[in-house]
Amino acid sequence: MKTVIRLKYLVMALAIGLLATPATAQKKLNVVTTLTDLQQITEQIGGDKVEVISIATGYQNPHFVDPKPSHILKLAKADLFISTGLDLTNGWAPSLLASSRNSKIQAGSPGFVDTSIGVPLLNVPSSVSREQGDIHVFGNPHYWLDPAIGHIIAQNIYNGLIKLQPANQAYFAANLKTFNETLDTKMAGWKAKMKPFNGTKIVAYHDQWPYFETAFGLDIVAFLEPKPGIPPSPAQLAKVMDTMSKDGISVIVMSPYEKADAANLVARKVGGSVLTLATSVGAFKEVKTYFDVFDYNVNLIVAAFQKASH
Amino acid sequence: MINRIGLATLVCVFLSPIAASAQVTTKIANPDISFIGDFRAWYTSEGPRNWDMEMHEVESSFRSVIDPFARADIFIGMGHNDGEFEFELEEAYLTTLSLPYQLQAKVGKFRSNVGKINRLHPHALPFIDVPAVYANFFGDEGLNDQGASVNWLVPNRRFYQELSFEVTRGPGESESFTRSDGNHMLYTSHLKNFWDLSDNASLEFGLSGLAGPNAVGYTTTIVGLDATYKWKPLQFNTFKSLTLQFEAFQSRKDMGSSMITANGMYALINYQLAQRWFLSGRFDHADLPDNPDWNEKAVSTTLGWYLSEYQKIEIGGRTSWGPDLDQSYQALLGMVFVIGTHGAHEY
Repeated sequence: MKTVIRLKYLVMALAIGLLATPATAQKKLNVVTTLTDLQQITEQIGGDKVEVISIATGYQNPHFVDPKPSHILKLAKADLFISTGLDLTNGWAPSLLASSRNSKIQAGSPGFVDTSIGVPLLNVPSSVSREQGDIHVFGNPHYWLDPAIGHIIAQNIYNGLIKLQPANQAYFAANLKTFNETLDTKMAGWKAKMKPFNGTKIVAYHDQWPYFETAFGLDIVAFLEPKPGIPPSPAQLAKVMDTMSKDGISVIVMSPYEKADAANLVARKVGGSVLTLATSVGAFKEVKTYFDVFDYNVNLIVAAFQKASH
Repeated sequence: MINRIGLATLVCVFLSPIAASAQVTTKIANPDISFIGDFRAWYTSEGPRNWDMEMHEVESSFRSVIDPFARADIFIGMGHNDGEFEFELEEAYLTTLSLPYQLQAKVGKFRSNVGKINRLHPHALPFIDVPAVYANFFGDEGLNDQGASVNWLVPNRRFYQELSFEVTRGPGESESFTRSDGNHMLYTSHLKNFWDLSDNASLEFGLSGLAGPNAVGYTTTIVGLDATYKWKPLQFNTFKSLTLQFEAFQSRKDMGSSMITANGMYALINYQLAQRWFLSGRFDHADLPDNPDWNEKAVSTTLGWYLSEYQKIEIGGRTSWGPDLDQSYQALLGMVFVIGTHGAHEY
């Protein structure tokens, strides 16, 4: 009799176990992002409920990612696709999505997240003509370089995650809260460090820093590219050197994927310095989180400004 | 007066964003539209007229998602044909986005999925003239037909593998195939294998098989293989790259009482010298599918200069020779420009 009862309990326990398994050990969400910054923020909010990979690396130009068949393989298995939206990745993301054979992640589906929703865009053109070089129809798309916009990106990612895993809402909400609080604390620190240099004029290689410039009170007065996407010309470099000498500008900022020759030449002539800033998570080995992007850049800029003022 | 200036300023200030947003809305509501112009000039050592030039083609494309289930791509060409311009429907097809089991289907008129470059439009190639094996086996414009295609992303976890199968009606004009009076269709298939060797290098290997009606009422079968090695360092992918490519085809044309076997291949090297400069070299060797005794060998080189992403100028030289051919020389100049929205080409 005892054996029968034991068996009965055993069967019940097994049945409960089987039923309970899918709820407690819910499958991790497969997330693919266009950029490493989105990957990193998704990892912070999704925690152990997500497996995230990024198509672009942190040290390459996000405009010019080559859509490889191996990327299609990743997208075919994805539950969620997170993109910066706008026209940053128009050259490659739509063709990858179309080849993915995955209806869950197409634009308009619950598995598609556009992190630009609600972002106050800068440099929205009043007319659209390629005479102006590579212009962005909707506005400058490098918005993740303003940490304050990191809150909006995180909120959009959170909204996408809870749509697919409503059962984990509380977990994601707690992670979002931690992310936002850390970002606020860090932001106060970065602003304090940059405050003495408010309004300092600098030069940039490409027009991709308006959000960073606004967030930290910098003033980018010239670009090495004569027009966005057109390589620096001797005439433009001469003009920039003139501006730098006249305004006493000592810093040129550029990205890891731009060639340093033109910037170095100008810096040598006017006695300035070239700073290769982190444009994304993974730009350099030590830039491992979204916060590291700003830690790295702020420290580099502050050191250069301090050196110049001595 | 002040009021009028003030009013004008106000109108300008408020009109600009409205105009911009109207433009954006138009862009969203319409398909992606682009026009590609392809101008050519050349010298050839053969014939009475050695120098010539033409507006080779203007290609317009209209591309958009139809609904959550499919997308459409339409390409209309206006090309040069014996001094006259003619409209031609180059491609028009619907591609599914939501079939199960990693399948994707396509119906309409499209470039056949064979070899490595047949699906590419000529302006996307790193050379001005098409390889002799393509011109001799499939025609100057490549193999393009009407029908249906299904391709399957093989659930292989280790590397990318795509298998495609197409049934088309038989092309009106092609060097190897024709449209049959009976129920004989053209069948093509391709297996694509792709490996990322590292972040910066990849290898692709493909196999093609084709079978379809020929001009004498029997079947021509063609088998092909393609191999491509690409080196493109991620960090500076807009500055440096190297492509090595090889393709070979063998055609067997059933003549009823006999069989004609013809072979063709090309090998290509394309090196990116700097952000805007590319240099390519190619060796061609090809028979004619209905006359294996005739064959052509050629060496060509092309230097490409991209003024921007939307404009390129290419200059090239080519020399060809064969047992029944006098050695001839050509020099080519090509200018390609794009207006409108133009997405990425296949990797």
